[in-house]
Amino acid sequence: MSETVALKAELRKEAGKKHAARLRRTGRIPAIVYGHGAETVAVSLDLHTFTEMLHHGHRLFNMKVGRQSETLLVKELQYDHLGEGIIHADLVRVDLAEMVKVTVPIELKGTAKGTHQGGMVDEHLNNIEVECRASDIPEVIPVSVKELEVGGAIHAGDIELPEGVKLVTDTGTLVLTCHLIVVSKSTEELEEEMPATPEVITEKIDREAEDSSE
Amino acid sequence: MALMPKRVKYRKHQRGSMKGNATRGNFVAFGEYGLQSLDLHWITGKQIEAGRVAATHFLHREGKVYIRIFPQHSYTAKPLEQRMGKGKAEIEGWVAIVKPGTILYEIGGVEEEVARAALARVSHKMPVRCRFVVRRHTLG
Repeated sequence: MSETVALKAELRKEAGKKHAARLRRTGRIPAIVYGHGAETVAVSLDLHTFTEMLHHGHRLFNMKVGRQSETLLVKELQYDHLGEGIIHADLVRVDLAEMVKVTVPIELKGTAKGTHQGGMVDEHLNNIEVECRASDIPEVIPVSVKELEVGGAIHAGDIELPEGVKLVTDTGTLVLTCHLIVVSKSTEELEEEMPATPEVITEKIDREAEDSSE
Repeated sequence: MALMPKRVKYRKHQRGSMKGNATRGNFVAFGEYGLQSLDLHWITGKQIEAGRVAATHFLHREGKVYIRIFPQHSYTAKPLEQRMGKGKAEIEGWVAIVKPGTILYEIGGVEEEVARAALARVSHKMPVRCRFVVRRHTLG
């Protein structure tokens, strides 16, 4: 369950990519606070502290925005091109008793029966959308795959959710399947399937036009 | 014959400039582990196939290998001792334009150690510096 932790933020007066880049060079990241019909506020956060809190599984923060303290939930994170560092954060105002829609990662538990029969578990979806109280957001949703056999599947509706958590993702959405491993084709087999040269669409159109004129 | 498109609108392409970082295809989407490029380069269809073979041989019919790049850009080359001019040369091969951050391969259905070892073998076949990445859970 998510705990609320205190996070220091500074109001950001300047906007734009140049200012954001300058901010990032000083070890801070730009963030935006919105929600509850109140004014949108641009803030900056200390990157090290914020990343550390996220690594510890925190999603809810108590932050002093302007004069008043607010409870904020991480709505979206933007990463750099390598997916390493956070470059921007979206924080939404929430009440702890309020119902919120969040995506929660799925954690597979156990070894599927199908893997002993020469199959493999294919994860089609690695997180599901749920609705719950802001104070009760689960860190992960465990999914037991022990009974999954070859040819079997687990849909979003089959997942057991903790108390007070409602599924938002469509119940029929495919989450996991267990199937036999397909033997990969050799280079020679792939070469046989491949055309020697690609078909050129524009040349085909030209040829058809010539034929029709004749 | 290595990987190449089945149908194209025009046979020959201009070389184009390579700059910037990957803004798409820069996160692990299908498998659990991936191989990410740290450089900007052309990767030929033959190199992509060599990487695939290296991974599938190592995995011994375990797991699943996903190729995240495709050579859709053709390049031409004049034969040796050819005088300059007389138009654009014939197609020499097909390449994928890879930028820093692009996920090249993904592996799913195996332990992390196995995926790490398989992708290390693949990285030796690549003309770029690569690194091993794990799928990131999205918050929101």
